[in-house]
Amino acid sequence: MLDIRKTTENATVTITLEGRLDTLTAPMLEKELLSSLEGADSLVMDFEKLDYISSAGLRVLLSAQKTMSRRGGMKLRNVNATILEIFDVTGFADILTIE
Amino acid sequence: MNNQINEGTVSIPLSGRIDSNNASQVEKQIQEQLEGKNANEVILDASGLDYISSAGLRVILRIKKAHPVLRIINVNSEVYEILDMTGFTEMMTVEKAYRVVSVEGCEEIGRGANGTIYRIDQDNVVKVYNNADALADIQHEREVAKLALILGIPTAISYDVVKVGESYGSVFELLNARSFSKILANEPEKMDWCVKEYVNMLRKIHSTLVPAGKLPDMKETALRWARFMQDYLPEEAAKKLLRMVEEIPHDDHMLHGDYHTKNLELQNDEVLIIDMDTLAVGHPIFELASMFNSFVGYSELDHEIIKKFQGFDFETGATFWRRSLAAYLDTDSPTKIREVEDKARILGYTRMIRRSIRRKGLETETGRAQIAFWTDRLLELLEKTDTLLFSRNELVIEATTENLPEVQAFVEKQLEGTDCSPRAQMQFGIAVEEIFVNIASYAYAPGKGKATVRVELAEEPTTVTITFIDHGIPYDPLAKADPDVGLNAEERPVGGLGIFLTKKTMDEVGYEYRDGQNILTLKKKL
Repeated sequence: MLDIRKTTENATVTITLEGRLDTLTAPMLEKELLSSLEGADSLVMDFEKLDYISSAGLRVLLSAQKTMSRRGGMKLRNVNATILEIFDVTGFADILTIE
Repeated sequence: MNNQINEGTVSIPLSGRIDSNNASQVEKQIQEQLEGKNANEVILDASGLDYISSAGLRVILRIKKAHPVLRIINVNSEVYEILDMTGFTEMMTVEKAYRVVSVEGCEEIGRGANGTIYRIDQDNVVKVYNNADALADIQHEREVAKLALILGIPTAISYDVVKVGESYGSVFELLNARSFSKILANEPEKMDWCVKEYVNMLRKIHSTLVPAGKLPDMKETALRWARFMQDYLPEEAAKKLLRMVEEIPHDDHMLHGDYHTKNLELQNDEVLIIDMDTLAVGHPIFELASMFNSFVGYSELDHEIIKKFQGFDFETGATFWRRSLAAYLDTDSPTKIREVEDKARILGYTRMIRRSIRRKGLETETGRAQIAFWTDRLLELLEKTDTLLFSRNELVIEATTENLPEVQAFVEKQLEGTDCSPRAQMQFGIAVEEIFVNIASYAYAPGKGKATVRVELAEEPTTVTITFIDHGIPYDPLAKADPDVGLNAEERPVGGLGIFLTKKTMDEVGYEYRDGQNILTLKKKL
């Protein structure tokens, strides 16, 4: 399961994820982003408590990246080593801004 | 003195004391009784004999010389000791007198197919056999219990045979023991512990190889049930049942045969299994069928039955059964548990229907209603089941994305106990998700179908192989070209990453289409 928490400060939206970002939960995040990003200038995603990400999750990240690159950008924070490796293998490490 | 003649057997009672004072007189009397009888077997009934001296023993030796087939029966323990010390017990058959034991007012602590177990004092229990002529059964049980003990199964072996009214009983030492049924009935909070110990013992029994021919083959028994049913089920269902039993391979691993909680005893800190007369060999599905009946089947229509028999209620029994099955299969997957339970139910209902028909169940209204109830369920189960075999490491599940968490949990559970790092765990997760979701989305669309997920572990180096099988349209997901991971975000297509990740993180990924099945294999060294 995936827990999504959102905070907004000025035009920066911060999304904190907890749990698993997979085929079943990725649509939830997609929906959340669709509404949250309206009028947002930049996006921060906190992955500290994200345990798992599959290709379904990567797809959501990619489309969020595409959306935000036209605005103030998207940053990922607190990405653990295992997920970082997935980003490396898929070339996402070069596309995404990882703090 | 009186003697009885029975087809060449002459039985002569001995009484009182036989010593140098009366030995020659006793000898004369015995010879008179044997005169002209041409006895081919002589039985000396020692029930009235209090003492025998060496003079008396010499008399017996001389009779034995003239009549080589000689037995001394009903020997009390003092006389037995003399016969044992002097080597007579090795020269001829000497049968001890049966001690008489009363079970009136004694607590019933166990009940099996062939008898009931009572506690006769703090240290001892007696199993009273239903069959009045039970000496052969007692002998059998003692032999199989000994065999089990030698093979490493903790059990109690009877040390004495006694008379209980008109029946025989065998006496066991069982100190301060309590049956698991009693624990479950009185201390429901110990359910977890009971499940764990019950399953440990079950696994121990099922992993014990029995030398060929030492125990009956449970498959033979099940074949008799299935053949019996040929006259009572629609032809197609009856044939399927018989075929499925025939297809169960011969297995020389031990089965208890009546494995319920009244037969499991906690003695101090040791768990013992008793009531060994149903011991057999065979595939574990036979055991599970009998367990299903004990906890659910027999009392499904009348919940009072289990209360009377086990002392706990139907809910407790059903929960205990389900949780034990889950622990035995080492899974939390409801689909897996249901799959194996359904197979057990097929044999369980078959057995109950046969038993009821043989006990003239078809001649009463209640009997007919019961048989109809069981038959309905049996037919329903036969409809959806193709084999009675199962394996712990294989999950057959409806291929839908909603079932992904169950598949993931199943695979994770299989990997428990290996030294699988969190990193490898996530990689397996990603690969399993990708393949399973692929099957769920495309194999049977727009219809539905099942997928099989099998997890195999090999040693040195620890290697995990996960196989996915579906019967959907032929499709090789590996044929797709890898995405260009060098493209920037704008140029990258959304998708195609899952299979790529799978190929990158697994050591081997293979696909083949064989016998109408898509077979996809993932392999990774840990």
